[in-house]
Amino acid sequence: MKFSVTKEKLLEGLQQVQNVVSTRTTLPILSNVLLQANGNEVHLTTTDLDVGVRGSFEAEIEKEGATTLPARRLFTIVRELPSSEIQFDVDGKNAASIRSGQSFFKILGLPEEEFPPLPKFENAKVVTIRQKDLRDGLRKTAYAISTDETRYVLNGVLFSFKENKLTLVATDGRRLAMVDLELEFPRSHEADIIVPTKAVTELQRLLMDDGEVKVSVGNGQIAFDLNKTLLVSKLIEGNYPNYRQVIPSETKERVTLERETFLNSLRRVSLLASEKSNSIKLNFSKNNIEITANTPEVGEAKESLPVTYKGREFSIAFNPEFLMAPLRNLVEDEVFLDLIDEMSPGVLKIQTPFLYVLMPMRISS
Amino acid sequence: MDENCTNLWQKLSAALKPQVSADTFKRWFSAVELVDATEGSLTFRVPNNIYQFWIESNHMAALQAAIVTAFGAPREVNFLSPSEPADDTAAADGNRVEEDKSDSGRGARPTGSALGLNPRNTFESFVVGPNNEIAHAASLAVAQSPAKTYNPLFVYGGVGLGKTHLMQAIGQFVLAKKKNTRVMYLSSELFINEFIDAIQHSNLVKFRKRYRQADLLLIDDIQFLGGKERSQEEFFHTFNTLFDGHKQIVLSSDRPASEISNLEHRLVSRFEWGLTAELQPPDAETRMAILRKKARTMQIKLRDEVLEFLANRIRTNVRRLEGALMRVASFASLSGKELTNEVVEHLLKDILQEEARHSITIEQIQRRVAEHFDVRIADMTSKRRPANIAFPRQVAMYLSRELTKASLNEIGDAFGGRDHGTVLHACKLVKKRMKEQDALRQTISFIDSSLKR
Repeated sequence: MKFSVTKEKLLEGLQQVQNVVSTRTTLPILSNVLLQANGNEVHLTTTDLDVGVRGSFEAEIEKEGATTLPARRLFTIVRELPSSEIQFDVDGKNAASIRSGQSFFKILGLPEEEFPPLPKFENAKVVTIRQKDLRDGLRKTAYAISTDETRYVLNGVLFSFKENKLTLVATDGRRLAMVDLELEFPRSHEADIIVPTKAVTELQRLLMDDGEVKVSVGNGQIAFDLNKTLLVSKLIEGNYPNYRQVIPSETKERVTLERETFLNSLRRVSLLASEKSNSIKLNFSKNNIEITANTPEVGEAKESLPVTYKGREFSIAFNPEFLMAPLRNLVEDEVFLDLIDEMSPGVLKIQTPFLYVLMPMRISS
Repeated sequence: MDENCTNLWQKLSAALKPQVSADTFKRWFSAVELVDATEGSLTFRVPNNIYQFWIESNHMAALQAAIVTAFGAPREVNFLSPSEPADDTAAADGNRVEEDKSDSGRGARPTGSALGLNPRNTFESFVVGPNNEIAHAASLAVAQSPAKTYNPLFVYGGVGLGKTHLMQAIGQFVLAKKKNTRVMYLSSELFINEFIDAIQHSNLVKFRKRYRQADLLLIDDIQFLGGKERSQEEFFHTFNTLFDGHKQIVLSSDRPASEISNLEHRLVSRFEWGLTAELQPPDAETRMAILRKKARTMQIKLRDEVLEFLANRIRTNVRRLEGALMRVASFASLSGKELTNEVVEHLLKDILQEEARHSITIEQIQRRVAEHFDVRIADMTSKRRPANIAFPRQVAMYLSRELTKASLNEIGDAFGGRDHGTVLHACKLVKKRMKEQDALRQTISFIDSSLKR
């Protein structure tokens, strides 16, 4: 295998795939990236047996072929190379010579045959989604994924394909984020699947502003085909809990808030939320919200936020981090906060189909 | 739900209502059923797992407060989702009961997992073979009647042979039987660290109280106490207090107590006071049984040839055996390729190499035997045959036959070009003498185990 390529293209290609490579692997081949040169493209593949990514870059290929090389090492070398032009030459024993300007590197790889192939998707159900829609949907939900490994069904995002809608849901038991995307697909494609966190994180990096993504759901596996790149992942086995149960059926008070202003106030006041109770209080009164936090023996913070509010006066406490997470990940200027009383969950909404349910903290005083 | 539970639930509901909002109560608690109530615990049936997740995360404090109001004392709370059968119906299958317990146990605070006990390590999941029979039986006896049979119980064996598994099984068995037993499970390293901490912050009294109140003290990897004099002294007193109070003590180590370096004599003698049980590497059949059991619990299907291959090639360590199984299974499920022995061999290259490094050579045997009987290594291959040289040579031949794969001819060659008949005679002779002389049998098993280490 022999080819030459620019540093920028090679780096870009490696960046797409290298995150999947796990640092502590028992199977040495899994820390390698598979390079396959044919036509005018070099394909790159990495996998940790749960998630696999395949990408490519353009190159001038003199001799076709394939090999695998240590991914992290290759990436750090390429990043440091002095010149833009890079020549790659891999001999029959999988030793790669890399030349760029005055530098020369030789790194030893493993044969292509050892690399586990990505799973095939035959007879899979295929649904096409706009990349931007899916990226925004995941961004609005992924932060609520549970990291508690004992509740493994919650360690991912639910993709629920039903009635020409794709619903994305993530929850950790204290909060729940949900997005609906309009989508057309045949009835036979209706399904509920759970995509694990790692695949969601990688997918968010790969999704672009334009173009479409072809989603294939196979037996216990899912593939996202983004035209130039492909991501495959195992699905989490098990049933996602009935999340609709969590959403309050009716709410009493609604306030409209400027997202940025609200977020900035929260961020400032939360500096004095104590580590122990980790709560921030919202005191509602006529046309005003007072946000307060205090840490015993340290101090307190207070900030007033003028709003349009005509409901009854009451206070509710939230975990500041949980309240700020959706505000950070939304892009809309205006958000609506719907509340019932100090012990019932708050609901954050925007103009488009999005919903965030957050349990209040108990107010001790 | 039976009448008793209905009454209890009504009482509890009344106490709970003021604690949570009306909407919360209707949404989360109106569909909950109380299915089992005992002295120390309550079991609730919920329509599906979101109820458990949400109540655990958000309403546990309210629920516990209500329990205290209604019944006067806190109780352990367990949840049952509809997929799991209630405890009383599942009693037929021992394994199943155990799983249910560990599953629902997540809901409550003071269970095994909070003590660092892995719910997977139970007696049911322990595969018994001739290599660990005694240790298993002794552990079970201790678990069934703590402090009545063997006290202390001292379990030792190499890495990955099940010491920790047995200790944790004892802990969980005792906890499952009597909820309010004070079980302490920790490694000796943690004991040392906490001791040092206690000295630093001068709260030794609290430290002592903590350990000396345990009903069952399980200490893993006690060999790390070696060389730590102050810790040994502290442990000595803890040991005495517990022992005199008729509390069960279980210890594990990677070597016999007498071989732990820099361990005070008074501790060694105490460790050997009760019962000492050794765990040995599993034989081929046990390894096969372990693989089958593990494959079943992980719900993976592999052909018998593959399991056999693994059982035959990975001999020293159960942990490694399970790791290899996992690796093979995940490769099979992801790639969908047919698993032949070649593929497996390739997949497990590094593990198999590591295993091979542990294999014993004839040369090592000759050196070890010569050392033991105090003869020169050259005597192993020489033509001289006075009894004091010939016999060690025969022992070495016997061990070579037992411990290596070499043929009779190869062994003969390695011992100065003797023919296979000579080797065969040596093996028979040594076997016969081992039957007759206890001392010789002990000597040979000592050399044998020192070679395997």
